[in-house]
Amino acid sequence: MTDASAPRAISPFRRFWSRFFEDRIAVAALIVVIVFAALAFLAPWIAPQDPYDLAGLSLRDARRPPGYVGSGGYVHWLGTDAQGRDLLSAILYGLRVSIQIGIAAGAVALTIGTTVGIVAAYARGFTESVLMRVVDLQLSFPPILLALVLVAVLGQGKMQLVVALVTAQYAYFARTAYGAASAERAKDYVEAAAATPLSGARIVFRHLLPNAMPALIVVATVQIAYAIALEATLSFLGLGLPVTEPSLGMLISNGVKYMMSGRTWISVYPGIALIILIVAINLVGDHVRDILNPRLEK
Amino acid sequence: MTILTVDNLVTQFFTRSGVVTAVDGVSFDIKRGEIVGLVGESGSGKSVTGFSLLGLVDQPGRVTSGSIRLGGEELVGKSDRDMRAIRGARIAMVFQDPLMTLNPVITIGAQMRLAIRAHGAVSRRAADERAAEFLTKVGIREARARLSAYPHEFSGGMRQRVAIAIALLLGSELIVADEPTTALDVSIQAQILDEVRELAAESGTALLWISHDLAVVASLASRVLVMYRGKIVETGPTSKVLAAPQHAYTAGLLASLPAMATPGTPLSVFRPETMTVERPEPVALPPSPSAGQPFVTVTNAVKHFVPSRTLGDKIAAKITANPGQPTVKAVDGVSLTIAKGETLGLVGESGSGKSTLGRMIAGILAPTSGTVTMDGAPVMEGGRKAGTRIQTVFQDPFASLDPRMRVGDIVAEGPLAHGLTNKSDRVAYVAGHLSRAGLDPGLATRFPHQFSGGQRQRIAIARALAMQPEVLVCDEPVSSLDVSIQAQIINLFLELKRDLNLTILFISHDLSVVRHLSDRIAIMLNGRIVEEGITETVYETPQDDYTKRLLAAVPKLSAAA
Amino acid sequence: MTGFLIQRLLQAIVIMAVMSVIVFAGVYAIGNPLEVLLPPEAPQDIRDAVIKRFGLDRPLWEQYGLYIYNLFQGDLGRSYIYNEPVLQLIFGRLPATIELVLTSVIGALVIGVPLGIWAGYRPNAFSSRAIMAVSILGFSVPTFWIGLILILTFAVNLGWLPSGGRGDTVEVLGVAWSVFTLDGWSHLILPATNLALFKLAIMIRLARAGTREVMLSDTVKFARAAGISEGTIIRRHVLKLISIPIATVFGLELGSTLAFAVVTETIFAWPGVGKLIIDSIQNLDRPVMMAYLILTAGLFVTINLVVDLVYALLDPRLRRRAAP
Repeated sequence: MTDASAPRAISPFRRFWSRFFEDRIAVAALIVVIVFAALAFLAPWIAPQDPYDLAGLSLRDARRPPGYVGSGGYVHWLGTDAQGRDLLSAILYGLRVSIQIGIAAGAVALTIGTTVGIVAAYARGFTESVLMRVVDLQLSFPPILLALVLVAVLGQGKMQLVVALVTAQYAYFARTAYGAASAERAKDYVEAAAATPLSGARIVFRHLLPNAMPALIVVATVQIAYAIALEATLSFLGLGLPVTEPSLGMLISNGVKYMMSGRTWISVYPGIALIILIVAINLVGDHVRDILNPRLEK
Repeated sequence: MTILTVDNLVTQFFTRSGVVTAVDGVSFDIKRGEIVGLVGESGSGKSVTGFSLLGLVDQPGRVTSGSIRLGGEELVGKSDRDMRAIRGARIAMVFQDPLMTLNPVITIGAQMRLAIRAHGAVSRRAADERAAEFLTKVGIREARARLSAYPHEFSGGMRQRVAIAIALLLGSELIVADEPTTALDVSIQAQILDEVRELAAESGTALLWISHDLAVVASLASRVLVMYRGKIVETGPTSKVLAAPQHAYTAGLLASLPAMATPGTPLSVFRPETMTVERPEPVALPPSPSAGQPFVTVTNAVKHFVPSRTLGDKIAAKITANPGQPTVKAVDGVSLTIAKGETLGLVGESGSGKSTLGRMIAGILAPTSGTVTMDGAPVMEGGRKAGTRIQTVFQDPFASLDPRMRVGDIVAEGPLAHGLTNKSDRVAYVAGHLSRAGLDPGLATRFPHQFSGGQRQRIAIARALAMQPEVLVCDEPVSSLDVSIQAQIINLFLELKRDLNLTILFISHDLSVVRHLSDRIAIMLNGRIVEEGITETVYETPQDDYTKRLLAAVPKLSAAA
Repeated sequence: MTGFLIQRLLQAIVIMAVMSVIVFAGVYAIGNPLEVLLPPEAPQDIRDAVIKRFGLDRPLWEQYGLYIYNLFQGDLGRSYIYNEPVLQLIFGRLPATIELVLTSVIGALVIGVPLGIWAGYRPNAFSSRAIMAVSILGFSVPTFWIGLILILTFAVNLGWLPSGGRGDTVEVLGVAWSVFTLDGWSHLILPATNLALFKLAIMIRLARAGTREVMLSDTVKFARAAGISEGTIIRRHVLKLISIPIATVFGLELGSTLAFAVVTETIFAWPGVGKLIIDSIQNLDRPVMMAYLILTAGLFVTINLVVDLVYALLDPRLRRRAAP
C-alpha cells in the first residue's frame, strides 16, 4: 500500500483510546489501577517486611498505631496488625493475592463464558437453547450463594476459590458473548461472509469474536472487580483463603475485633486499599461502557 | 395571509470538535393553508430547520440568530414554557417513523388524551370524544373502540395516521412533517398523501413537508424550498422549479433521478466541488440478452418460516384452542429464470418476500422446497453455499462491512480464502477491484467508518467483484443512499453490466431504479410473482391489477413533464 | 403468551428436579457427618447405630430417593446441631430475613428510581454526577465493609443506633416482627441500609440508563412536539417505559438480596436464615444446608415465574401477541 495514506487510517482501537482520554476521571482511575497492579506485582521487592514469614514477626509489635517504629527499626506507616505484621506490607501482599484471584477468575470465566456464548450464538437450534437455558438458570442465582456453597464443597485454597468464582461468574460472560454475537450475527457483514462463502471457523474467529470483544471487555472489568469483592467477602466470612496467605478481605476480617476498642487502622487501611482498587476498576469499566454504547453516540 | 415568517434563521451545534452550522441563514414564509415542500439530502439541514420552528433542536444545538414569527409573534428567544404552549396547539409535528414515535406501552387513547390535556383541562370523556373524532377523520374505522388499542396493533400506515391525527387534534395553524411517508410502502404513501391533501384543505392548516423525495413533494406542495448545506438555494412554485431549475444543485438533483432519464442511460451527477452538473456520455449497452438460455433457474421455490413451538405452546394451543403464531409463508411457490448477462429486476413492497427469494438465490437461505440452480448445479449443497460464482451486495453499507477490518482486508478476505489471489499479489488484486468500483486504491488501509455511505457501497461492490462472480444478487443496493450518490452507484452498475457480462438480480422497492437498470422485471406480492416480463412492456401495459395499482401509486414528477 | 408461561412452568419443574440432585450430591460431598454427630472417641457400635439411623450406609441414590420422598411429606430432616426439625428452624428465622430484605429492596427502589431518572434526565448536571459517584461507590464497596463502617460510625462512635440484634418485636399473625416497634426500627435501620446500598446503586444505574435512552428517543421528541410538559413526559412516558426492565431486575435482585442477607446478618448479628446457613456451612450441618438450598432454589424459580408474568403484564406487545 502507498505509505502516504497509511498513517491516515484510523483504527477503531485508536478511535476508542482518543475518546477514552477525553474523560479525566476515567484516565485517573486507569492510572490508579495500573499503579495498584504494579505495587502488587512488585510487593516482594518493595514491601518493608515479608508478612508470610512468621518467624520475622514479633508480638511486641502487635496492634501498634500508624507511625510506630517497631523492633525491625523501621517506621510502620500504617501500623501493625494483631500478629505484629507491618500493615503496609500486609496490604501490598494482600493486594497481590486479591488481584491474582480477580484476574485468574476473570480470565478463566471470560474464556469459558465466551466459548459457551459464541458456540450457542453460532450453532443455534437445540445447542443454543440448552446452553442458554443453563446460563440463564445460573444467572438467576446470586453468585455469592453459588460461591459460598462451592467453597464449602471444595474446601479452602486459591485454586478452589478460583473454581468457585469462575462457576459463579462465567454465566455473565456467556450471556454477554451470546448477546453480542447474536446481534453481530444478524448483521449484514456476517451474512456477506456467509454468502462469499467463508468457513464457519473464519466467520467466528475473524468476525464474530472481534466484534463481540468490546462488550466482553466491559463485562470483564466489572467481573474482575466483582471477583475481588467476592473473594474479600468470602474471606471475611471465613470461607475464603487459608490464614497463611491473607488477602485484603482476610486482613479486614482479622481487624474487626479490635475495631470496637478504637484500633480501627487494622481493618480500615486494608479496606481503603480494597475500595480504591474496586472503585477504580469500575470507573474504568463504566467509561468504556459509555464509549461503546452505540445508542448514546451522536 | 402569511402565518409563519422565518428570517435569516441560524441554528448551530456546539460540539467538542467545533461549531457546526446546520442551518445557515434560512428565510421563508408560509401562508395560511399552504403546503410548502422542503427538499434536501441528508445533512442539508432540512430536519434541523423543522425542529428549530418548534424550539426542539437537540443538545448541543440551538438557534443562534434570526427570527421565527408565528402570526406576528416572535418565537426565537421564547422560554421553553411559552414554547410548550405553542407546540401541539399552534405548530404540530409528524415524524418519519411512527413505530418509534408512539409509545409502545401506552394506549393510543391515553397518548391522545395527554396531547389534548397538555393544553388545558379537558374531561376524560370530552378528550376521548375529540380523539375519536380525529381518528375517524384520518380514516380509522371504529375509532372509539380503537382508543384502547396499543400502537403495535396498528399497521405502519395506520400508525402514521394516528400520528397525523395527534398533530391535528388542537387545530394547529402549521404542521411540520419530517419525512412522514419515507418509511412506508408506495401504495400506502399514495393513500396518505391523498388524505393529507384533503385534510389540509379542509382544516386550513398549513403544512411544511420535509422530504428527500422530490417526487413526493411535487405531488403535494404548491411551493418548494430546496436546501443544500444549510442554505435555501432555490425557492419557487413547484412546477416552475421542476421545469426550469435555476440553481445547479436543483438541476443536478432533478437530472440524477432515474425517473427523469431514458432507461439504461447513465445519469447526470451533481459535482459539489465545481457546483456543476456532469452529464456523462451514453454507454452502449449490449442488446438485451433476455431471450437467451436460462442461466439461473428457480423452480417452485418455497420458503416457510415455521415459528418454533415449545411444549408449552403446544399445551396452550390444546387448552385455549388458539393455534398460536401462524407459519410465515415468505416465498410461496416461485419459479423464474435469468438468462446469462441479463438483469432481472425484482420489485415488491415490504413483506412481499423479495429479500427472502434473493437470499435463496444467493445461497444464504435454503428453500423449504423447490430448487435454485445456476448453470445446472444447485446453489446450495448440504445446507451450505456451493461455489463462489454468485455474489451479493446488500442494502445497508454501514452494516455490511466489518467495522474492525481494513478495507483492503475486507476485499481480500474472500479471494484469499478461495485461492483467487495469494499473499504476494493481494495488494495489486485489491487495488484493481477497488478502482473497478470507482475507489482510490490508496484508501485500502483505512477502516469502513472513514468512508461515506456511497463509498462504502462501492467497497461492498468491490468485495463482491473480487470474487469474480458470474451472478450478482443486489438487495436494495441504492435505497439507503441520497439521490445524487444513488445516481453514481446506478452509473457504476451500468458500467459493470457493459464490461463484465454479469447476470444480475436487482431487488428493489423503487420502481424507477429498477426500470432504469433491468432488462426484465418480476413483481412480487405475498410470496408469489404476480407479473413478469420485459421491463418496458410491464411498465407501459401492466396486466395484473396489483402491478397497475403499484405503478399508479408512484408519485410522479408530473409538473416537470 | 399462555404457551410461554406454561413453558416456563415446565422448565421450573425440571429446574427444581435438577437442582435437588445437584444440591444433594454437592452437600453429600462435604465432610463426614459423623464428625459432627459424634464425639471423636465414640465407640464403633454407636457409630454403626448412627450410620444406620441416618441411612448413611445406603447407596447415594437411595438416600436421595428417601430425601425426596420425605420432602413431599413436608419432612426435611432434623438439624444435626440444633436437633430440631429443619423446617421449623428455617421458618422460625425466615420472618427476620424477609423483613430485612423487603425493607432494603423497597427502600432501594423508592429512592433509587427517582434518583436514577434525574441522573438520566440531566446527565451533565452536578447533582447527577454526584448521584452517579454515590452509585459507583455503592456498586463497588463490598457489603461487609459498608456494614463495618456503619457500625463503627453510628453504633460505636456516635452511639445513635444499636450494632446488632432485632430489638423489640411484636407478634402479628403469629410471627414476630421488628418493623412494628420503634426499637425494632432502630435495630433494622443499619442492616437494612447496609443491604440496600448495593441494590440502590443498581436501581440508580438501571433507571439512569433507561431514562437516557428513552429521553433520546423519538417517542419523547414527539411528546414534546405535542406540547406535553417535561413532568408529564417523565411520569407517563419514561416511567412506564423503564418500568419493564426495572421490574425484571427488581425480581432478580429480590433473590440476590436474600443471598446477600447472609453477609449483613453475620455482621449485624441479625437472627435470620442467612446467619443460620453460614453457621451450618461452618458446622457441616447437612440437613440445614440441604433444606436452605432447596428452599432458596424454589424461591428463585418462583420469583422468575412471577417476573415473567409481570413482564407480560407490563408490556402489551407480549401480552396480546398470541391473542385470538
